[in-house]
Amino acid sequence: MVLEKLGNAIKSSFTKISNAIFLDKKLVDGIIKDIQRALIEADVNVELVFQLSQKIKKVAFDENIKGIDKKEQLVKLIHDELEKILTSKKSSELKLSKKSSIVFLGLYGAGKTTTISKIGLYYAKRGRKVALLGLDTQRPAAMEQLEQQAKKANLVCFVDKKEKNPVKIYENYKKELEKYDLVLIDTAGRDSLKADLIKEIKTIDKKIKPDFRILVMPADIGQSAKKQAKDFQEALDIDGVIITRMDGTAKAGGALTACAETNAPVFFIGTGEHIHDIETFDAGFFIQRLLGMGDLNALLEKVRSATTEKQQKRIEQSLAEGKFTLMDLYQQLESMGSLGGMDKIMSMIPGLGNASKKLPANLMEKQEQKMKHFKAAISSMTQSEIENPEILEKQTSRIARIAKGSGSTTSEIRELLKQYKLMNDLLKSQSSLADGKVDQKMLQKMARKFKGKVRF
Amino acid sequence: MFGSLKEKLKSWVKKVTSSEELVEIPKKEKSQKKRTLKKKKQISKQEKKSTEEVLKEIIKTEAEKPQKDVKQKFSFFSKKLTDEKFDELFEELEIILIQNNVSYEVVEKIKMSLGEKLIGKNLNGVDLEKELKNVIEEILIEPKDFVKEIKSTLEVKKPYVILFAGINGSGKTTTIAKVANLLKKNKLSVCLAAGDTFRAAAIQQLEQHAEKLKVPLIKKDYGSDSASVGFDAISYAKKHHVDVVLIDTAGRMQNKDSLMKEMEKIARVSKPDMRIFLGESITGNDATEQAKKFNDTINIDGIILSKADVDEKGGTALSVSYVTKKPILFLGVGQGYDDLEVFDKKKIIKGLGL
Repeated sequence: MVLEKLGNAIKSSFTKISNAIFLDKKLVDGIIKDIQRALIEADVNVELVFQLSQKIKKVAFDENIKGIDKKEQLVKLIHDELEKILTSKKSSELKLSKKSSIVFLGLYGAGKTTTISKIGLYYAKRGRKVALLGLDTQRPAAMEQLEQQAKKANLVCFVDKKEKNPVKIYENYKKELEKYDLVLIDTAGRDSLKADLIKEIKTIDKKIKPDFRILVMPADIGQSAKKQAKDFQEALDIDGVIITRMDGTAKAGGALTACAETNAPVFFIGTGEHIHDIETFDAGFFIQRLLGMGDLNALLEKVRSATTEKQQKRIEQSLAEGKFTLMDLYQQLESMGSLGGMDKIMSMIPGLGNASKKLPANLMEKQEQKMKHFKAAISSMTQSEIENPEILEKQTSRIARIAKGSGSTTSEIRELLKQYKLMNDLLKSQSSLADGKVDQKMLQKMARKFKGKVRF
Repeated sequence: MFGSLKEKLKSWVKKVTSSEELVEIPKKEKSQKKRTLKKKKQISKQEKKSTEEVLKEIIKTEAEKPQKDVKQKFSFFSKKLTDEKFDELFEELEIILIQNNVSYEVVEKIKMSLGEKLIGKNLNGVDLEKELKNVIEEILIEPKDFVKEIKSTLEVKKPYVILFAGINGSGKTTTIAKVANLLKKNKLSVCLAAGDTFRAAAIQQLEQHAEKLKVPLIKKDYGSDSASVGFDAISYAKKHHVDVVLIDTAGRMQNKDSLMKEMEKIARVSKPDMRIFLGESITGNDATEQAKKFNDTINIDGIILSKADVDEKGGTALSVSYVTKKPILFLGVGQGYDDLEVFDKKKIIKGLGL
């Protein structure tokens, strides 16, 4: 799929955000770095990428937005911004009137001539009377190419292999072309930086007065995409874009962002070298697939229900007081469970579904099992044990009892206690941070300890 | 090409060197003084900023402290470049490079090489311009003299066969015409093989070029085996004592396995002396993927980048050179037959202002 890597990066950051108890700097920086990398590799304009990073940072580190609100806002921000960056506001449906003419323009070798015959066939099959007109008088055999392709697609084609002035060719065929519903016009490849070529296309445009002007752009174009799109837009006020070579490995980010920036919708994408290889492009559907959710609300709902306001407050309170009991750990495990199990979380997020396949088959299951056992163990404890887990370490017979009562093993109980201790240490250091007392060594020690151990 | 990169690189080098000077000034002061100063700063900031930010700041300064102590112990009078500082400095260069179409993979490689050279070094003694130049020089590969190479091979083997490969629309046919023109000018006889038997009018396109350049063209029908066209052209060349055979092939996306296999077959049958990959200067991150795949399939000997007149950025040259470790031979700089520029490494580096 187009931009698959980007989609995966974004989906995983959404999961990271919704599962995080604290949105700390490291987590946010990591998420930003992931998204940045994916966007840049997809050729998205680098300025836009850094703008997005700044916006994410601003919300993530805004003290006035708290807890769940912040998560929601972050998810919404990333969603909205990507939608803005990648899709144009205009509808991506080419609304042809009864009689229409379309001029195709673009860089050399972008695929104009090939695309024209594809589009011609596409509309001919939908009942239009289509004619192709070749005005590329510059490249050798461009006319022959159009002719041969028209023949393949069984379309009517008007070319003139001798005339060098495109305007004259048009005038010669003008009367004839009036008999057709849809006239598709091929032009010579040109680059937007060359003034004489732009002047030429302007004169052609003035003469023909087409209903639509479509820019043809290859998917693998890099950072020059923006400039090309902008220049063509300024010169001719293009109505939309067709992106070709979408069947390669290119991520089309350059072309897509260029379209969005110039507010030109993407009408079609070319997906191969054969005449049927053309598809319409639904921007809304595309963005949904990319971000991996039915809609924004569904995802926000998940984020919301994963941690309720009350729980969040409780955790914050115990954080402030420096208290943390097994009950809190239980709540955290619970909130993970309410997301619906690890594999469900993964399957909910398309793209990650594939990722989970790559994991050892029983890893997910094991993790889940462990959490279940933890919860059962906590339920088997007395109130005083829950509030004061330290006593368990002194009286090991209690551990045996809990293990028996909850159907788990003593080693699992010990692991739970270890997790609890880690959590507790972390919270203690956090609260002493809040008091302004900071023990740097401790913090570093914590960081090392937690690395890869505790994940919620 | 490379014009805009040059200015940006220069300003970056300037900025970094000046920022180094700035941080160097307080380094000789006693650490105590520095700490009190910092505390004062913190207090004033504390009044303005929210608690979280203050916390962060404290953590930051605390985290920096032990490092500084260590550093001061070892080298009291010199400022060494730390990992973090380098990352910070490089970020700007990273943006410059990406803006100029260098692919992310290659940007990371530049970062690594530069980091290896600079991290831990005393910034006073480092010539940043030189280091950056070295890294870029390492990536770009000096091409051999194209015509000379052909002429020297011709003494032992005739004809000299050149195969052109690349994705759709990269400019193979146009470039072949340009190369034929160049060879003719150097008094070498040329014949063309219309190996693109797939795309509509590809044969006519090459035919028209052949007519204009007055060189023979070997062709078959559309849909016929591309490899056999190359084979026929070589037989023709042997019979008629033609020096160089240029074989055109159909454009193909690098991820289409069957087409890449066909490419491999064409190369196997025609046994070219030189295999050239045609890339576009305007291609972004995908350039590395394209070049890599073609290199893996037919083991290219060189690269020609077309449409270099369209793109003023030029980063693609770095990307494809890096992933293939093959030289760039020419740049296509226009639609005319003479619009083929020899890729001159020194000139490019000089053009960058390094």
